[in-house]
Amino acid sequence: MSVKEMPQNWEPKILVFACNWCTYAGADLAGLSRLQYPPNIRILRVPCSGRVNPQFVIRAFQRGVDGVLVAGCHPGDCHYVSGNYFTRRRYLLMQRLLQYVGVDPERFQARWISGSEGPKFQQVVTQITEEIRAMGPNRKLRDAQ
Amino acid sequence: MSEMTKKMQEIAREILVKGEAEVVIGWEKGTFWYLSPPAFIDKPEDVQRLVWDDFCHNNLSKYLVDLKNHEGKAAVFVKGCDSRAFNRLLQDKQIAREKVVLIGIPCPGLLDQDKAKELGKNSDLPKAQKCLDCQYPNPLVYDYYLGDKEALNEVAATKEAADYSDVAAIEAMSPDERYDFWTKQYDRCIRCYACRNVCPACSCRECVFDQTRVGWIGKANNSSENQFFALTRAMHVAGRCIECGECERACPMDIPIMLLNKKLVKDINELFGEYDAGIDIEGKLPLGHFDKNDPEEFM
Repeated sequence: MSVKEMPQNWEPKILVFACNWCTYAGADLAGLSRLQYPPNIRILRVPCSGRVNPQFVIRAFQRGVDGVLVAGCHPGDCHYVSGNYFTRRRYLLMQRLLQYVGVDPERFQARWISGSEGPKFQQVVTQITEEIRAMGPNRKLRDAQ
Repeated sequence: MSEMTKKMQEIAREILVKGEAEVVIGWEKGTFWYLSPPAFIDKPEDVQRLVWDDFCHNNLSKYLVDLKNHEGKAAVFVKGCDSRAFNRLLQDKQIAREKVVLIGIPCPGLLDQDKAKELGKNSDLPKAQKCLDCQYPNPLVYDYYLGDKEALNEVAATKEAADYSDVAAIEAMSPDERYDFWTKQYDRCIRCYACRNVCPACSCRECVFDQTRVGWIGKANNSSENQFFALTRAMHVAGRCIECGECERACPMDIPIMLLNKKLVKDINELFGEYDAGIDIEGKLPLGHFDKNDPEEFM
């Protein structure tokens, strides 16, 4: 199927890079607390948000996700002391670069979600899913196969 | 023969005769009048091949990386941008300072090769784009200097603010227009990797684009893979780009690569404070350290 066509019953596909120590625990808490959030996200657990190479993000868009969220511990709370500070620098730049080449700002986001912020996880994921649902499938950077 | 060419040949002869270095890297005249390719001189009688003219674009510092395992010393001529490239490679510990003799040349700004080819010999040629944007025309580091040292300080004082109007013009477009613009540019890319090969910020022992088994980038030449290449390369040289414009000059498809690199330089300056790569070799790279008070947008 060509990426140009709007598939029937299209649902947004969102990749969440979740840091093992905070955001993953936050997602777990959201689940344990029975907080409802859209099933459109795919969680990919990484040891630290600093592990997320910019190439991962571009590759995700190439292979057909509609949005990417990179989430980790709040600054100062990193399990590895400073990983998320590097993430912050890297993705402040990356976000601007992606927008510069025409990717819509909604499609690539970064957030700090701690292990106790289950409700915040629910709220962020819901918001991103709704924004992307309104925008439709991503066609930029897509590998057209 | 210009004054500077004469000086270059003299000093090259002196260095080779004295045995200060085994090879002198400079420029020579090749097949075309509008190109001055690099020359590797290792015999004193060959020094008359060296020239200095308006087309000595090649950044010679990058060749020092190839001489990394060479035991003897190399002497290399450096313009302003070449000297920043040298600092850049030194900062990455790609070359040893004591194995290099630097001969500084004040650079008045070079002429556009493509325009020269198009317009012919006796026309009024414009300066190359990279030279119009240049902020450091004079070498920052050298052992010998082939110009007036007093004039050097004057120029340093009159450094102009960088011009980012071309980047701003793209920023002003809508996301879809920007995407179309870049897709059009990078659809021409033939992925010859010339931009990477000339880049003084690209010095990985094994480049990510060569790791075919890991499969970061496919062999297929399509929009998606080309965009992956463009964005990844831009991120890899972020904070390390010295804005020498060699990538754009080397590009056979005339892709405005510097528009991507300049955007990153601009953002780094805005977000993390003014930073010019290849000036201070002791300082940390913008993406190699952090500040607790960096802008916060991810709450």
